[in-house]
Amino acid sequence: MKKSIAALALGLVSLAARADNVKIGLLAPITGSWASEGQEMKKNVELLVDEVNAKGGVAGKQVQLVIEDDGGDPRTASLAAQRLATQGVVAVVGTYGSAVTEATQNIFDEAGIVQVANGSTAVRLTEKGLKNFLRTCPRDDEQGRVGAALLEKMGAKKIALLHDSSAYSKGLADEINALLKAKKMNVVFFDALTPKEQDYSAILTRLKAAGPDVVFFTGYYPEAGLLLKQKKQMGWKVPFIGGDAINNPDLVKIAGKEAAEGFLFLSPPVPKDLDTPEAKAYVASYQKKYGEAPQSIYGVLAGDGFRVVAASIQATGSTTSGEKIRAGLGALKDFPGFTGKIAFNAKGDRIGELYRVYKVDANGNFVLQK
Amino acid sequence: MDQLLEQLTNGLAVGSIYALIALGYTMVYGVLKLINFAHGDLFTYGAYLGLTLLTSLLAHDRMGLGLRLLLLAVMVMGLVAVIGVVVERAAYRPLRDSPRLSAVVSALGASIFLQNALMLLYGARYQVYPDVLPQNAVRLGDLSIPVVRIAVVAVSVVMMTVLYLFVQKTRIGTAIRAAAIDQGAARLMGIDVNKVVVLVFVIGPALGGAAGLLVGLYYGQIGFTMGWTYGMKAFTAAILGGIGNIPGAMVGGLLLGVIEALGAAYLSVAWKDALAFAVLILILIVRPSGLLGERVAEKV
Amino acid sequence: MHRRLVIGYSVTAAALAACPFLLGPYWLDVLNNVGLYVLLALSLNLILGDAGLFNMGHAAFYAVGAYTAAILNTRLQIPILWLLPASGLVAAVFAIAVARPVVHLRGDYLLIVTIGLGEIVRIALVNDVFGLTGGANGIFGISRPSVLGHRIRRPDEFFWLIWACVAATAFLFHRLEQSRFGRALTYLREDTVAAEGSGIPTARYRLLAFGLGAAWAGMTGTLYAAKMTIISPESFGFWESVVLFLMVILGGAGSIPGVAVGAALVVGLPELFRGFANARMLVFGLVMMVMMVVRPQGLLPFRTPRYKASDLKAAFGSEGAGEPAAPGAPGSGIAP
Repeated sequence: MKKSIAALALGLVSLAARADNVKIGLLAPITGSWASEGQEMKKNVELLVDEVNAKGGVAGKQVQLVIEDDGGDPRTASLAAQRLATQGVVAVVGTYGSAVTEATQNIFDEAGIVQVANGSTAVRLTEKGLKNFLRTCPRDDEQGRVGAALLEKMGAKKIALLHDSSAYSKGLADEINALLKAKKMNVVFFDALTPKEQDYSAILTRLKAAGPDVVFFTGYYPEAGLLLKQKKQMGWKVPFIGGDAINNPDLVKIAGKEAAEGFLFLSPPVPKDLDTPEAKAYVASYQKKYGEAPQSIYGVLAGDGFRVVAASIQATGSTTSGEKIRAGLGALKDFPGFTGKIAFNAKGDRIGELYRVYKVDANGNFVLQK
Repeated sequence: MDQLLEQLTNGLAVGSIYALIALGYTMVYGVLKLINFAHGDLFTYGAYLGLTLLTSLLAHDRMGLGLRLLLLAVMVMGLVAVIGVVVERAAYRPLRDSPRLSAVVSALGASIFLQNALMLLYGARYQVYPDVLPQNAVRLGDLSIPVVRIAVVAVSVVMMTVLYLFVQKTRIGTAIRAAAIDQGAARLMGIDVNKVVVLVFVIGPALGGAAGLLVGLYYGQIGFTMGWTYGMKAFTAAILGGIGNIPGAMVGGLLLGVIEALGAAYLSVAWKDALAFAVLILILIVRPSGLLGERVAEKV
Repeated sequence: MHRRLVIGYSVTAAALAACPFLLGPYWLDVLNNVGLYVLLALSLNLILGDAGLFNMGHAAFYAVGAYTAAILNTRLQIPILWLLPASGLVAAVFAIAVARPVVHLRGDYLLIVTIGLGEIVRIALVNDVFGLTGGANGIFGISRPSVLGHRIRRPDEFFWLIWACVAATAFLFHRLEQSRFGRALTYLREDTVAAEGSGIPTARYRLLAFGLGAAWAGMTGTLYAAKMTIISPESFGFWESVVLFLMVILGGAGSIPGVAVGAALVVGLPELFRGFANARMLVFGLVMMVMMVVRPQGLLPFRTPRYKASDLKAAFGSEGAGEPAAPGAPGSGIAP
């Protein structure tokens, strides 16, 4: 008798508990090439979910976080998105990598689930008219504008553009190329290197032969580190600039402090440079829980993605309607995100300028330039 | 003109690494008629083991740099040779009498196993070698050639010459050559072919491991997928020179390095790898025996 | 057809037909992936299993078909299902053109050449050759297929389309196996010189095998493009070719049910063991090495066709044919 009452009570309690949850999904590369980004995304969002639940949840319900791994690969991602879509989530934060995100957009859109991407900067993602897709990260065309402006400010007369044929890298290089052409600046070199190789001396020699004043490399940090190191070995002193995929402390490790000194790159502000009081408090609480400060800005952008979704649910009171949550997101004005003020335009892009210029100093530190 | 000269030196440096790895392929192929797909991964093991050993060796301040590097090289080559012998025992010896396809699949399996074991042991991120080599450069007119680049080519050439002399002038070397020509006849001559095979799997992987160490020291950065790219290129080099032919592997490696560098300089950088593969296919169609070697086509 | 085979197929077909009513969209999608891979494995089986040609660049034909369909669909607005024959044809022509110079090479060399070809195709796709392929971004906005006016969008709808194709393919390939061409392929796989001596034009048949296998892979590419609506070079790399190769070898080269089972296991098992993502590849490699020692002929190996003695008698008549070998005699292959 007692056992069945206990079972009944347990059943009722769990039924009640379930009815009181609002499910939010996180799609992240927990494994695969971008595992370091995915793990940080997870840590950021989990911390925030705990904080929100401790304060009573959103719209009176506790938040239940459902995490799925996209493996950094479009096909795995589409399966992971299918899984999320069948588990009753009302919104999803994620993911990192434009090609990976793209594979999941239609699935979430067709299921009526709001998707807020944190690390997908390809322009075309918000040009498809998918009304349930938004992003807290900037777009490559903004980075292109900042890059072109920087080149102009430096007074560069002959510019070399180097990419690695990946979607992100070539896209950014194309953007900058177009802007430079419009400003009638001289692009003397435009080609790609093969990523994941070791020896870039052949490319560097060819670059040198083209005689540029500055080289803009839009690829990732492993190759950038090798380029800087080998350029120094060659004794070639022309300055290099990088895009935001360069932003990783290993860059200095690979290139060596001497070779990396003076290197400039574009990036959204790194977590330690976030200057609002809430951001500083957040970084401190992250440090307290995990023993280290957040390393990647994309993890913090995922955190901001969660916070805007939570804010929208709280404001609209809706925990089940993707449409209402989307409308709530559109209505946000100057939401105090950790990464800056957040508001979305009709396409789902974040309004406002996020990119800054960074310089590597003699000690290998990344210093924000004003 | 300057660019040409500089690209040539680039090509020779890269090519000498290809050549060292290609020697491993060619020796194994010569004796066993088997393409050892796992060889590229043995090269990667050399790079990673070199990193671990170097970091611990650096703690001993009393030894000079040269001595430490020598000790490092010997240890790395020894370890990789051991792994090579184990691979032969586990993946190839049981299939000695099976159709070639089984050996190919087993080789692939060994390659996948080794690569993923390495990833699980060291993690998926790139690893960086500590900066130990001198960074100065030699000036030749307008050109600045880093000393280490010259050293890489020199070390490789020395190792290849030693191997060549070993195979040509010593009794054991002759035994290897005999086994490569005809295993049955070699047995009749009293040569223990099994021992020859083990020896080949000691020398080949040792050279591959040395190449891995060189790559780590020279470029500074290593990744667990290095074996695939370098392996393919080295294999192309071996075919280019004539598979089964030791001087061929050396020539093929250097030549391929130079072709790649010149291709990057005068054609397009983005198509550099496709060029290497195109060279491979072209050689197999036009001159399958390679520059110095044996026939591989059967008439149909 | 062999009775056991028919029973096996019927049971599988019944089980599959029940799936859309029992499984959710996630598992149906997994089965869709399995279906596509079964098609690809069957197409490679023609080349590798039936003709015995070591092809480790099969993903290139898959890619050519997929991209042909994608380009024609996004630029000329041709409905995607109509492009099936076009993609198959382009892939076949491509295969025959590239195979022609190399089809006479010895086994492991052909292997290396096909690897090189696969890589060249992938690099060409990434570098946006002829400005058509969209580079690393690939091509997006491919339209969904529509059958008789009904648009196919959800996993359960794709399930019927894909598995209907699998059934048709399996049927056709079984007929091919029994045909003159199929038997000639088996012959030239087992002993090329004898085959040539018996009057089989081995070079031409090998090229045909390449062409047919490529055509099927190309058509599967169209289905894939329609299902994903975006294709990019990452899906057609060396690893794909290796996986397909393994499906055929581990399942049983030359055997249609074997290859299908191989495909199902190689795709399905990792989904069941999703938790062990990293160790999974390790186990894969180990399995390969062990299988070659323990069971090199694959899980469901190719069985030489067997004929009933009564059928043979009926076909040849008993005068002048001599006594058929005694039933049970070794190597006779005749069942009483």
